[in-house]
Amino acid sequence: MNITVDIPWKRYALIAELTKRLDSVSLHFGKTALQKLVFFLQEIYQVDCGYDFELYTYGPYDSQLVSDLDLIEHWGCVSVTHVNDMLGGYRIRPTEAVDSIRGKAAEFLDHEKTKQALEDLVLTYGSMTARDLELRATTVYVARNFQRKGETATIEKICRLVAQIKPKFTADEIKQAVVELSEKRHIQFTE
Amino acid sequence: MGKITEIRDPIHGFITLNEWERDIVNHPVFQRLRRIRQLGFTDMVYPAAMHNRFEHSLGVMQVATRMFDHIHERRGNFLKAELDFKEDELGRDRVLVRMSSLLHDLGHAPFSHAAEGLMDKDSSTEKPFKHEHYSAVIVCMLMQDVIENHPFNQKYDIKAKDISDFLNGEASLGRSLLWRSLVSGQLDADRADYLLRDSHHIGVAYGSYDLHRLIATLTVAIDPETSSAVLAVEEGGEHAAEALIIARYMMFTQVYFQRTRRAYDQHSVEAIKHLLYDHQKQSNLANKNAFPPPTCKVHVDDYLKWDDWRVFGLINEGKAGDHGSILMERKHHRAVFETPEIPSAADQELAQEIQEALGDDVGFVDCASNSWYKFDSADVPLLLRPGERDEKLTALSTCSSVVNGLKAVERTRIYVPLDKKEKARDTVANTRYEKEKSL
Repeated sequence: MNITVDIPWKRYALIAELTKRLDSVSLHFGKTALQKLVFFLQEIYQVDCGYDFELYTYGPYDSQLVSDLDLIEHWGCVSVTHVNDMLGGYRIRPTEAVDSIRGKAAEFLDHEKTKQALEDLVLTYGSMTARDLELRATTVYVARNFQRKGETATIEKICRLVAQIKPKFTADEIKQAVVELSEKRHIQFTE
Repeated sequence: MGKITEIRDPIHGFITLNEWERDIVNHPVFQRLRRIRQLGFTDMVYPAAMHNRFEHSLGVMQVATRMFDHIHERRGNFLKAELDFKEDELGRDRVLVRMSSLLHDLGHAPFSHAAEGLMDKDSSTEKPFKHEHYSAVIVCMLMQDVIENHPFNQKYDIKAKDISDFLNGEASLGRSLLWRSLVSGQLDADRADYLLRDSHHIGVAYGSYDLHRLIATLTVAIDPETSSAVLAVEEGGEHAAEALIIARYMMFTQVYFQRTRRAYDQHSVEAIKHLLYDHQKQSNLANKNAFPPPTCKVHVDDYLKWDDWRVFGLINEGKAGDHGSILMERKHHRAVFETPEIPSAADQELAQEIQEALGDDVGFVDCASNSWYKFDSADVPLLLRPGERDEKLTALSTCSSVVNGLKAVERTRIYVPLDKKEKARDTVANTRYEKEKSL
């Protein structure tokens, strides 16, 4: 039984911080990119963001993250607009009030581990398209699923499963993503 | 084909089972769902809320099958040409969807979702188990024989583990992961059934929407932004999808997150916690206040002994502590403060200040985002101009100002015991006045 009002400032401030950092780096930072980048932050960089991702054909996803984005948009910290082009999707951008909730979670954001992780994340994945991020997030989920279940993950097994979940990607695209993630040591597989 | 069993259902008319499915439904583990109420102690507010997980599970299977069949019939060529499905795989997937939707709620604790807060932590993830984890383990540990060894299964070779993987959303599902959205997603059969069923039984109209139209416009498409296969609604079904989303919002605010109903969720959790400790204090379980974790057969067998009947009996014997007495006497804690549905940062801080001012008088704090069936604003994909050369997938919120205007409900409430209500209301008024004066 909860007897305190626990405001998840950490989650709200993280979204605001990512939006601010990515504004000058990415033209593709929308709802999909947010899901996948926070998934990376939690899974690869081991930053406790408080989300619980589940796998769908559109990659790892947590609806709580959508709700949190909703709320800070309502507070005027970020703007979320639909992109009316061939690809569709959304663009999340900071507003003048983006820093207004930073102070509530400064200890978390200024912690060396979080700061370093955010820098690495933005540098490595920040400029990727939603499509590229979704392929990589799904690959990380699949590889770690093997690991979690104590099963041997070979490059062939990972590629085969990712290809089934994401049939609109070519075998080359998938293999390239697996190799790239492995070189960054973000996934492991047995040769 | 064998003998077909027809079960009368208030929402879907007749639900049909083949012999294989009938054997599964007759298994004691599935029959236990007759003794798990769908909405816990909701009858304290809506007296007719007495329906159970048994009928809901049958309903989900019925809706999921209709959804699957419609998509298969209308988009069969797309599934094969674009997503590499084979016809025999689709036949097997249909059975997998039926079984998984039938068994998805096997692992519910007494009084359904409320007691989910009493599930132990999974040491491998450091997160609490959910009822789906119990469902998946129960399928593998206790239903393997009835699932795998029925003659009807010779054609499909479905393993209990396939159903367990489906319920857990495991990556090993491969392309069949697409169908998991029929059981757990924005347009899933679970919520499609419970909105109608809960409305019907408790006597409200908030959960009504046009299920037939929704199914008739359900489709599969490729999201151009990410190249992912997604379940979507065809243009023409947009108002049916709107109605589903509005039904979710109305049912959440008027029923699932109704203030008195939520108080009884908290009281039932505390009463069960008391009973669990009493029952398990001599055990070697690490957490004696929680249900046994689904980590071995002994624990699973112990877990399944907990159902509503057992808890009612123990409450009636006066063994469930102070909260058991509150349930018997209907003297629930009262909400003395609540934020707006979509609170500002200042509203959230005021809630925190009031909770601090109330000190030990706080009975419990409830937050919409921590409740079950929470209303989030996740969108529904909408397929414009289906079948045309300029077919395009977009989000329903871009075409619907109603959906675009609905935001996730993030209300927080503070409750105090009944005898502290008047004093607490004074404290709330004073704190609010002081806060407004300081601005």
